[in-house]
Amino acid sequence: MASESKERVELLQGTLDLIVLRALHTMGPQHAYGLAARLEQIAQPSLTLNQGTLYPALVRLEQKGWIKGTWQRTESNREAKYYTITKAGVRGLEKQTERWRRLAGLVDKLLLNEG
Amino acid sequence: MASLRRFFLRLVNAFRPWRAEPDLDRELASHLQLLEDDFRRRGLSAEEAKLAAKRAFGGVEHTKNRHRDARGFVWIDDIRRDAAYALRAARRSPGFALLALAIMALGIGANTAVFSVVNAVLLKPLPYQNPERIVTLSTSVVGRETGPIRGQIADADFEDWRSQASSFDAMAYFFGRAASVMVGEQAEYARVGRVSGAFFRVFGVQPIAGRWFDTNEIKPGPPTVAIVGAAFAQSHFGGIHEAIGRTLRLANRSCVIVGVAPADFAFPEGTEVWAPLPLPDIANPLRRGGENFRAVARLNSGVTLEHAQSEMTAIARRLEQQYPDTNTGRHVIVTRLHDQLVGDVRLMLYVLLAAVVLVLLIACTNLATLLLARATARTQEMNVRAALGASRERIVRQMLVEGLVHGFCSGMLGLALALAGLKTLVALIPGNVPRLDEVAIDQRVLLFTLVVSVIASVLLALAPAFQASHVQPECGLRQGGTRSVDGNGMRRTREGLVVVQLASSVVLLAAGGLLIRSFLALQNIPLGFQPERVLVVDATVATPDPRQPATLFFRDLLAAISKVPGVVAAGATMAAPGRVDSTGAYWIDYVPRPNEMRTGRSNVNSIVAPGTFTALGIPLVRGRDFGDRDVRDAPMTAIVNQTLARQALPGQEVIGHKIVCAFDTLKPMTIVGVVGDVRQAGPADESRPECYMPYLQHFYNGATLSFVIRTATDPMLLAETVRRKARGLVPSVPVRFTTLDALTAQNVAQPRFRALLIGAFAAVALALSVIGVFGVMAYAVSQRTAEIGVRIALGATPGQILRLLFGRASAMIAIGLAVGFVVAGLTTRFLGSLLFAVKPTDPVTYVGVAALLAGTSFVALYVPASRATRVDPLVALRQE
Repeated sequence: MASESKERVELLQGTLDLIVLRALHTMGPQHAYGLAARLEQIAQPSLTLNQGTLYPALVRLEQKGWIKGTWQRTESNREAKYYTITKAGVRGLEKQTERWRRLAGLVDKLLLNEG
Repeated sequence: MASLRRFFLRLVNAFRPWRAEPDLDRELASHLQLLEDDFRRRGLSAEEAKLAAKRAFGGVEHTKNRHRDARGFVWIDDIRRDAAYALRAARRSPGFALLALAIMALGIGANTAVFSVVNAVLLKPLPYQNPERIVTLSTSVVGRETGPIRGQIADADFEDWRSQASSFDAMAYFFGRAASVMVGEQAEYARVGRVSGAFFRVFGVQPIAGRWFDTNEIKPGPPTVAIVGAAFAQSHFGGIHEAIGRTLRLANRSCVIVGVAPADFAFPEGTEVWAPLPLPDIANPLRRGGENFRAVARLNSGVTLEHAQSEMTAIARRLEQQYPDTNTGRHVIVTRLHDQLVGDVRLMLYVLLAAVVLVLLIACTNLATLLLARATARTQEMNVRAALGASRERIVRQMLVEGLVHGFCSGMLGLALALAGLKTLVALIPGNVPRLDEVAIDQRVLLFTLVVSVIASVLLALAPAFQASHVQPECGLRQGGTRSVDGNGMRRTREGLVVVQLASSVVLLAAGGLLIRSFLALQNIPLGFQPERVLVVDATVATPDPRQPATLFFRDLLAAISKVPGVVAAGATMAAPGRVDSTGAYWIDYVPRPNEMRTGRSNVNSIVAPGTFTALGIPLVRGRDFGDRDVRDAPMTAIVNQTLARQALPGQEVIGHKIVCAFDTLKPMTIVGVVGDVRQAGPADESRPECYMPYLQHFYNGATLSFVIRTATDPMLLAETVRRKARGLVPSVPVRFTTLDALTAQNVAQPRFRALLIGAFAAVALALSVIGVFGVMAYAVSQRTAEIGVRIALGATPGQILRLLFGRASAMIAIGLAVGFVVAGLTTRFLGSLLFAVKPTDPVTYVGVAALLAGTSFVALYVPASRATRVDPLVALRQE
């Protein structure tokens, strides 16, 4: 029981981390608000993101050394913390994307067979 | 890599949770600002934009919490906070915290101290190579009323065992005793071991200087070489290497020191000097009859104890057939050396450990009831916390952490107490408990203390935690007042804890009562002699020809001592009462042939000087004492005790008959007197038949005697005079002093120690459980003051109020006692072998314990209850 529920949490967490990582990779340095806005824009209307939920994902990625945050000024001259993907992050993104594809493929296959 | 990096960062954050906060605040503020800017751009007013931003973002506090969860280990942070909270709570009520700390620290300290003794004596392996392979070989004889002393063996048997047994890597036999050792002109008593060739190989120890005995040094005749212990070498020769090649005198023979044993090797019983035993004269059939040695052996690797035992049983059976005169019924018992050493003591120490654990259990439950009362006072706090969102687990965990903080502090303090008190405890333990010099706080003891502290803290925290798990958030803000109502479950928990205390106290009191009664019974046994004010002086005179000078020394010194003022009577004996060390067989009016040695009846042999019976206070029942005429060339005489007289010739006069003892000679001796019985081996053993012989007719055993001197005042005052007079006669004579009182006390030292310690534990248990009963009653009264006030206002009499309060409490006490008696009935039978003249089910003890506990409990109930009957209804009602 315990391991099963843990895996589920891991999967969901991993998904958000992967999305954030991917967004930073394609868009370049972004602050949390920018990331949230971007995600809402792409995923609409299937995902309504509570913007605060990004923060745990950001701290996880930062602690893993995959992204790095620095304080900078926005175009509107507000200060904001910009996150940049690191080299380790790029490698991590590749690995995680690959894993996700395999997992998603597997789940798809299973769902098709059972359906 | 990445996950490892994250783990360490989380760990760092867990212990420095505040460090990332300012940055997070700044980031969240900036996020909200950007959102707000966006809404402004879409045309909202400043006010509206701010609100919209907050809505879009979600809960700021919630985000912060999730951030903290992700960046640290939240449980570490919580526990840290709980611990800090526990310490703050302790500071708020220091009196209670200190009391709880003191009780627990004492309990844990006592446990640690007792366990460190158990550890050193019972658990630590012996300090020899592969100690589990070392065994002792002893003999027991079927059908003989009194067997050999402590399973001693015959050296002739040993030679057969050695040539036939294949289970052992090395085998040796030995004996050890205090003997006179001379270094230079100085003579003293030292423990001397006489050992056979492979003795040191059995233990697998190496000499720290020199060598062990050579095979050519194991030969017939007196020893010419010796080995000394490291401490002896240091104190007598100034160093271990300096001792090699020097000489010492044993039994007045010069022995060259060839080796030094390591400091921790002192087998048997604190031996300091070892000398080789002469090769036995196997051809002499009498050698097989005397059992004067002990044997040790090292099992071959892979050989089990059972295998060795069955092999030795087979060998013993063959010897029975080969030597029926001496060996019929003689068995060999193989025992692990460690088991043999701690034999008697094991049960006593485990009983002690059980008792001290029980005391700790009582202390814990006692404190738990106190904590429970405080938990009730804290119900309000808990309910408020629950109402503010603390989860149930969170509150339970807080309670457990409080318990652990408490347990940790008490454990540290208890350890300090144990360290301080260990010397005192060891000094209290009777000296015949082995390995006491090895008692120390080691890793295993520390682990024990840790485990005990954790268990104790969990026990402590369990009841309040259980209580806390029933928080009712909805009551948190409603009840509001200072008084809180105590639920039914709560009361039952507290009463349950008191039942546990009462039951445990019954067990301890019953055990203590039995041991004390047993000790008193031992004390009241008439010993057959009067131990008060008797100086005992051990003296040894060894000369190349032991005949004349030795006995003359004793005769002359005895004559000189008798003239000293303050001496009431003086004598000398081979073994003072309580120290019996020579048993044999006797015949009346019959001289046995060599093949009839087994036909005699067992008796104790004693050598005494004239005047000994008077000095010891042993009554002369009939006939005469020995006197000046009982000398070497005069007719042989003997005096017997009443048991022997009764057994030898029931209903007849024994005086005038001849007795033959298998001792130093088989010459018949005329019985000239009958004296009263003494308990030769201490009060617990029945008197055995005993034959006394005059010292001037038995020169060999007459060379090592103890003077017994009855004095008018403190006997020890005479010691210097005796030493001066002894040195005046023979300058090199070693003497040592004790009193008969001290010797007699040694015989009951273990029962005294057991009774003292278990009795003390039982007293503590009684006090604690009475406090527990008092606490429950006082609390119940304080809870019901208003109700009692109403009842009194409505006309209830004091008697009715008492009945109301007593009903439930008496049931609690009755249950506690009943449970206790069942457990005591099941457990005290383990005490069986520690008890003397008292059965484990002794009704007097049980009735006494019941009366004591019930009586004190009712007093503890009555004090607070009677106060309740004097409640002023007006005051009581106004409290509401």
